[in-house]
Amino acid sequence: MDELFTDLEKLAKVEKRVAMATLVGTRGTSPKREGAKMWVGEEGRILGSVTIGGCVDARVIADAEKALATSEPRLLQVDLDNEDAWEMGLSCAGSLDVLIEPFDLTSPNNMLIETYHAVRSAIEQGKTVAIVTPLKDGAQRLLLFEDENTDSDDELRKVAFELMRKRKSATVSIGDPPVEVFIEVHGPPPTLIIFGAGHLSMPLVNLAHDLGLKTIVVDGRPRFATRERFPEADELLIGIPSEIARTLSYNSSTFVVLTAHDYKYDLPVLKVVLPAGAAYVGLLGSKRRGKAIKAFLKEGGMEESLLDCLHVPTGLDIGADSAPEIALSILAEAVAIKSGRRGASLRERE
Amino acid sequence: MGVLYSEKLLDHFRRPRNYGALTDPDVSYESFNPLCGDRIRIEVKIENKSVKEVGFKGDGCAISIASASLLTEIILNTDPNKISNDQLIAALESDIKPARVQCALLPLEALRAGLKVYQDQEQH
Repeated sequence: MDELFTDLEKLAKVEKRVAMATLVGTRGTSPKREGAKMWVGEEGRILGSVTIGGCVDARVIADAEKALATSEPRLLQVDLDNEDAWEMGLSCAGSLDVLIEPFDLTSPNNMLIETYHAVRSAIEQGKTVAIVTPLKDGAQRLLLFEDENTDSDDELRKVAFELMRKRKSATVSIGDPPVEVFIEVHGPPPTLIIFGAGHLSMPLVNLAHDLGLKTIVVDGRPRFATRERFPEADELLIGIPSEIARTLSYNSSTFVVLTAHDYKYDLPVLKVVLPAGAAYVGLLGSKRRGKAIKAFLKEGGMEESLLDCLHVPTGLDIGADSAPEIALSILAEAVAIKSGRRGASLRERE
Repeated sequence: MGVLYSEKLLDHFRRPRNYGALTDPDVSYESFNPLCGDRIRIEVKIENKSVKEVGFKGDGCAISIASASLLTEIILNTDPNKISNDQLIAALESDIKPARVQCALLPLEALRAGLKVYQDQEQH
């Protein structure tokens, strides 16, 4: 989301008119997900990408120029069979739908900028937003906010709220006769909450920061949870960790990692975070230690299904040894779990 | 752990008594060990120099949590100034090594610091 605003602001300073190309549909494998954007300025400036490059981007640029010339939106469909993919230098075959819309950035009531300003404002308040764009009939965009009535019977709202919950953008068919709309979901950055401000947590915060995650570090020791040790952390919280844990919010975009390797923090914090609905809860420690921690929690009445959600030892098996390598292993597993993937090599994927 | 610690200590660690916060306590003080990270907050309501209500919250090792739990039981309906270090350590019924005495006395340190703040306020 930050990249989108940065690109838009950069272009607004130097271009009068731009075409916004949005990846609205993918079939087969695609290097980018729905919602990826490319901007083509009337003066020739290009920012972003809807693929990993090659001839598809070239076709998008060519169509963007046509859209700017005609002032009409276009839906570009690019079908790639294996031969094309090979010739185009793409790593995978599939087909893509790209919506290309021209905008006048000098217009006083610029709809594009107004829409994204409203989205940015909502995100700054911690809300998730969906922009609903009809693909064919040129109807106006609709903005939906996650704090609206999610029990609505309206089919569009139901689908949009489900996509907001999954933090996923997609093209869907709504109504009878069906109308295709692209639902573009934006929300606050995923959050990594780390309990324990020890040595490992330092590269964990740095790497998470580079991945665009908001980071919160919690510890009872002010000598460890310092700004000097965690210059990139968004929040440093010092106090009784389990008490702080109760004040934080958890959702499908929250990763929790316990790095203290000390039962005094692990047990009370796990009692709070395991039932709280985070996307990932990882605990630093051996299998043996994990078994003992789970046994203790089970004795305290925690349900087996919640204990099964605990990833201990935390991380993927990549032979991590140093603290930065362990941090990489943990975040790789967290991202894989959130995405519903196994975390195996891509070449093993069907 | 079972070999080193008494059943009483383990029981108070697993099922701490008086765990929780009080509404409008007269005394509320949090002490922590800056290196190991044990943190205990003791809260007390006082009437006629006697403890009428007491609670604690915290994340700590088995010794510090059990000690806090036992402390709340010992001082209830008594003058909280009168409990001694030895009395609290004895209540744990365990062989507390010198290096861990600090853990056992952390809750008492919080209580005494909190009482001092309360008594200073009462005098002014």
